[in-house]
Amino acid sequence: MTYFPEEVVEHIFDFLATHRDRNTVSTVCKTWYRVERLSRRSVFVGNCYAVHPERVVARFPGLRSLTVKGKPHFADFNLVPHDWGGFALPWIEAAARGCPGLEELRMKRMVVSDESLELLARSFPNFKVLVLISCEGFSTDGLAAIATYCRVLRELDLQENEVEDRGPQWLSCFPDSCTSLVSLNFACLKGEVNAGSLERLVARCPNLRTLRLSRAVSVDTLSKILARAPHLVDLGTGSFTIDHRAEAYHKVMGNFIKCKSLRSLSGFWDAAPHCLPAVYPICGNLTGLNLSYAPAIQCADLIKLIRQCSKLQRLWILDCIGDKGLAVVANTCKELQELRVFPSDFYGGGIAAVTEEGLVAVSSGCPKLNSLLYFCNQMTNAALITVAKNCPHFTRFRLCILDPKKPDPVTNQPLDEGFGAIVQSCKDLRRLSLSGLLTDRVFLYIGMYAERLEMLSIAFAGDSDKGMVYVLNGCKNLRKLEIRDSPFGDAALLEDVGKYETMRSLWMSSCDVTLGGCKALAAKMPGLNVEVINEMDESDEMEENPCDLDKVEKMYVYRTVAGPRNDAPDFVWTL
Amino acid sequence: MGGRKDGSPSSSIDSSSHPALSTASSLSQPRRDLSTDLRLGLSLSTSSLQDGSSSARDDWPPIKPLLRSTLTEKGHQIQRQSATFFVKVYMEGIPIGRKLDLFALDGYDGLIKTLRRMFRASIMRPDIAQMPTNKDHVLTYEDKEGDWMMVGDVPWEYDFLPPLLILLPSILNSICH
Repeated sequence: MTYFPEEVVEHIFDFLATHRDRNTVSTVCKTWYRVERLSRRSVFVGNCYAVHPERVVARFPGLRSLTVKGKPHFADFNLVPHDWGGFALPWIEAAARGCPGLEELRMKRMVVSDESLELLARSFPNFKVLVLISCEGFSTDGLAAIATYCRVLRELDLQENEVEDRGPQWLSCFPDSCTSLVSLNFACLKGEVNAGSLERLVARCPNLRTLRLSRAVSVDTLSKILARAPHLVDLGTGSFTIDHRAEAYHKVMGNFIKCKSLRSLSGFWDAAPHCLPAVYPICGNLTGLNLSYAPAIQCADLIKLIRQCSKLQRLWILDCIGDKGLAVVANTCKELQELRVFPSDFYGGGIAAVTEEGLVAVSSGCPKLNSLLYFCNQMTNAALITVAKNCPHFTRFRLCILDPKKPDPVTNQPLDEGFGAIVQSCKDLRRLSLSGLLTDRVFLYIGMYAERLEMLSIAFAGDSDKGMVYVLNGCKNLRKLEIRDSPFGDAALLEDVGKYETMRSLWMSSCDVTLGGCKALAAKMPGLNVEVINEMDESDEMEENPCDLDKVEKMYVYRTVAGPRNDAPDFVWTL
Repeated sequence: MGGRKDGSPSSSIDSSSHPALSTASSLSQPRRDLSTDLRLGLSLSTSSLQDGSSSARDDWPPIKPLLRSTLTEKGHQIQRQSATFFVKVYMEGIPIGRKLDLFALDGYDGLIKTLRRMFRASIMRPDIAQMPTNKDHVLTYEDKEGDWMMVGDVPWEYDFLPPLLILLPSILNSICH
């Protein structure tokens, strides 16, 4: 490679598509390291505490796109205390100092303050893309800053964030000169929206292709927007409450018909069944449909709608669709790749919504299915074995049986064999979530067969330490392991401590790991942060005298080159 | 430091940790035995779930907060939406009446508008002062005490649920203001 000038090497590196490949070539020699780091435009940081922001910025001064993830995945389910950490500000500050050319920032599960949004807005003249997923800590004032100062903003994508509402004026902060928007998603906002500002903004952005409206946007406004932007590809409908006898209904249907490019629909926040026919005209073109926020629409109406969506590739739906409805999906949506069925009535005592039958039907009718999230009341081994045979291409398979530790209702056996069939058949499986009654055996299978597995979620499963050890020993590509309410203890934790340096993180809560075990791990592996999370319990006297034999409620272990973090709250102990 | 100190592992299900029997322990360690409670709670019959089971957990099933809050809220609304309350409405002098679902209406405004359409009559409203004409009707109902009252004085939210409504020509009454 000494024969090639550096520009050529750099050009060759351009062909490397993944972060992994670029990271690899940077380790070959000093020259390649230098060429790679100076030409790197995009960096992905899977754990914000794995490395100091300053170090990232120093190494990659030409950075244009940065992605950072904060809290562990189980934070989505309220398992991580509110102020655990994951702050965006240090990253934005470091980037502001070291990478003024930053154009794109994507953050997931981080705490983003209005102050950091304002700093972001003012620091990067070329800033184009902001994506915040499952973040919190900011208000509409922060959005106002983004709107005001990011002159060439193309994408503002807010997915499922907790945003404090300080009024609708943020939308009016986009200057009249802002015409560059391609994607605007504010579906998660709860407050009022200034309809006039919204309509004018849409009207002056001819390149707008994705628009996801919040609940506060009325059908009337939606109708006007559709009339102005018939070239939309992805639409979140807003409240979609229409009186189907009213003129507004016919108007919106008429405007939907004009949207020939529409491929993806979501929203339907308050939709009642009689509103759905308004979208029938464009159903035949849809590749994506998300009705998971529309529990008022029951099976019969869902079926009528889905019958028209023969090109669907991605379907997110509530379990009120039932097994019967899933059979219709199987018959109609032959292109289906991703299916998510969410529970609509999870406080128990509800009507059995979907069972193994629905899943088997879809697996049989939709051969391209590769990604599944399925909440159901029951599952059988026989069904899972059939599904494994029908769909060997699963890359993501997440099954959640609502009643934890529920066995196969037909045979009363654990579901080891069923999941075993899945991992054996689906050679490309990268992500797996288990549920139901499971013994150590299922982990033996996972360790043996799930060679490509990168993320595994375990809840209420296993009998002994052996289970966890099978997984740690077997899954060579494991990056993230999260376990709750399972009987794995210190022996399993300490069996192969080196393994954790090959992984991004390990989460264990309500397991049998003790404080002593965590301390031992921390002592053996200085390259790991072993965090023990203790939510103070005032009635608990043992708080003051922690004993090594005490079981740890929550533990989060991750590899890092940054050492113990300096922003940990009182209840987080880094050992 | 928090932690479970006793011997019972979280993953056992046995009757001695039944939620109804172990309220004492579950109170002193609020975040502790929930997993056991949960498993038992969900596998028992509906009767045991319905007693104060707004002790629904916020960490199971594993769904995101936005979906959880949307569905929780809608759960309450839907119970209301799917209920109906049909009431008979007669116009004085016409033996054949109509039926109307009060739950499908949006307050007294909705009621008056719907009736106007149904009967092609102009109906007086108690909250709007107007000069009654020969054509006006008044909407009345019989209350629990057997008295005939004009519709509209009691707030709609107080669950206005009369068994019967009658439209009377206003000329028969001197209720006009």
